[in-house]
Amino acid sequence: MAIHHTELETPPGREPLPESERPKLETLREQLQPLKDLPGSSIEALYAAQELFSYVPPEAITLIAEELRIPESQVFGVVTFYTMFSLEPQPPYVLRVCRDLSCHLAGAPKLIGALEKELGVPRGHTSPDGRFTVEVVSCLGLCDKQPALLVNLDQHGPVMPDDVPDLLGDLRNGAG
Amino acid sequence: MELVVTRNFGRPESWTLASYREAGGYEALERVLKEMTPEDVSDLIKDSNLTGRGGAFFPTGLKWEFVRKDPKTPRYVVVNADESEPGTYVNRLSLELDPHMTIEGMIIAAYASNAERGYFYIRGEYGLSHERVKAALREAYEAGYLGQGICGRDDFNLEVEFRRGAGAYIVGEETALFNSLEGKRGNPRFKPPFPTNFGVWGLPTAINNVETLAAAPAIVMNGAEWFKDLGIGDAAGTKMYCLSGNVVNPVCVELPLGVTAREVIMDHGGGVPEGRTFKGFKPGGASSAPLTPAEIDASLEPKSMAELGTIMGTGGVVVFDDTACMVDAAYRDALFFEDESCGFCIPCREGTPNLVQICERIMHGQGTMDDLDLLEELGASMMASFCGLGHFAHQPVRGAASRFRDEFEAHIRDHYCAAGTCFTANGNGRAG
Repeated sequence: MAIHHTELETPPGREPLPESERPKLETLREQLQPLKDLPGSSIEALYAAQELFSYVPPEAITLIAEELRIPESQVFGVVTFYTMFSLEPQPPYVLRVCRDLSCHLAGAPKLIGALEKELGVPRGHTSPDGRFTVEVVSCLGLCDKQPALLVNLDQHGPVMPDDVPDLLGDLRNGAG
Repeated sequence: MELVVTRNFGRPESWTLASYREAGGYEALERVLKEMTPEDVSDLIKDSNLTGRGGAFFPTGLKWEFVRKDPKTPRYVVVNADESEPGTYVNRLSLELDPHMTIEGMIIAAYASNAERGYFYIRGEYGLSHERVKAALREAYEAGYLGQGICGRDDFNLEVEFRRGAGAYIVGEETALFNSLEGKRGNPRFKPPFPTNFGVWGLPTAINNVETLAAAPAIVMNGAEWFKDLGIGDAAGTKMYCLSGNVVNPVCVELPLGVTAREVIMDHGGGVPEGRTFKGFKPGGASSAPLTPAEIDASLEPKSMAELGTIMGTGGVVVFDDTACMVDAAYRDALFFEDESCGFCIPCREGTPNLVQICERIMHGQGTMDDLDLLEELGASMMASFCGLGHFAHQPVRGAASRFRDEFEAHIRDHYCAAGTCFTANGNGRAG
């Protein structure tokens, strides 16, 4: 028997999707249709959900499980395994700063400090204007641009602490 | 010196099919399909001594032969572009600047392995690579290099699916990558059975690194002897070495496999910044134990690195000068492995945070000489880990503690950090 996602309860501790966002679930359902022919495509399905909602809401996990015919537990397991998926709403700009050895030697700690100072929040938190969050992550493979960071998927580097105001200014003005 | 895998990097729009063809691209595939049997191809690659550039250095031709000889079908060919080893960006450059060379290598691998399906798996963070490879795969389909009846041979088909990861170092481990392709958590699987017999979906799979596949077309065109002669001594072919850390030029250079670290660091990297002193280097990413300036004339190839108690790894050379603290450097690697351990097996899940804690104690003046012994003991326990991550995670820390013993002891006994990064107000705050 098919279980429709709307009949399922939100898992404890997680906010249900706001009413205004629910129509997007139908968009997601449409986007999932071609993936049904591609076994093992849960990562692509989750990217689709995250693109629509900025995160992976519980309802999307249920929907993906239902459409791709895989256990909900497996979808949830995949979300929590990979660092690029978020269970919480994300701001438009996620800045991922490399903290590994090469960037560290090239001054990543100072870069991270400058970003935190300029945004007024520590890493992992969203800035008061709701537009930025800084994540400190494993090597991004941008060691030729050390110290490096990604703005969503756009490469930046070398980024020195002095470059931070301009970088954020460009993004605030939509030039990023 | 003749370039193999980076030879097109300087060409205008080098990532397009038009540019690749102008440079002789896909001629190797056409030659293979016109003149060679799958056996001929795997024999040629075996004769060339091409080995896995991802860091394992397994003979590539042998891998393709194993897959071909397994009767189960469909067989798969997988491009492992989950490059995530700290200090390594060689695959990223190939994917961004010359995706067709890897795709041509992939098709040749599929022919030699008698595979009819493939995946091109790229780590989630490589956005530009996704775009370039997706576009290149489209071009290759349109030109008839992929799909059904490749280059007019109705007995040779290859359907390739593009896939991306979503942030997980461990997925670079081949069996973890298969789980990821199957839509599961990227935990590694037990080996044996090996991928050549039991790969993605439990079917025979030839999984190769980008740089390995990219070398195949040139070997077809120029022959096994030519490729072998490109390397130094017993080492065959070239390797992309990439530099980072305290080095003047953090660049990637393709050089004969087996060049000395001196040539890579000093001649191509320009050494350490002016006014600083060269202190050591890691030969191949986070997993490799660091070496000292006395070892700078060692050959960067698997055998000599193993003799020195470290590994050749990915060719990601990280350079240290006197502003780098080797305890701190070990700590950074420990943090990386702690973060990236998948948590599936106990020796790795528990061992990696222990490595972090030992480094932290030493950096904060709470370390004892017993900690250095504990490190050895911990390393031995971690060898019981399920996969290579746990087997290698302790090597950089133990390696640093043995080769840079004085520095570790100075931290423990005298609370002294020569680089001046520890025991200061904001020197060694945990950055991540």
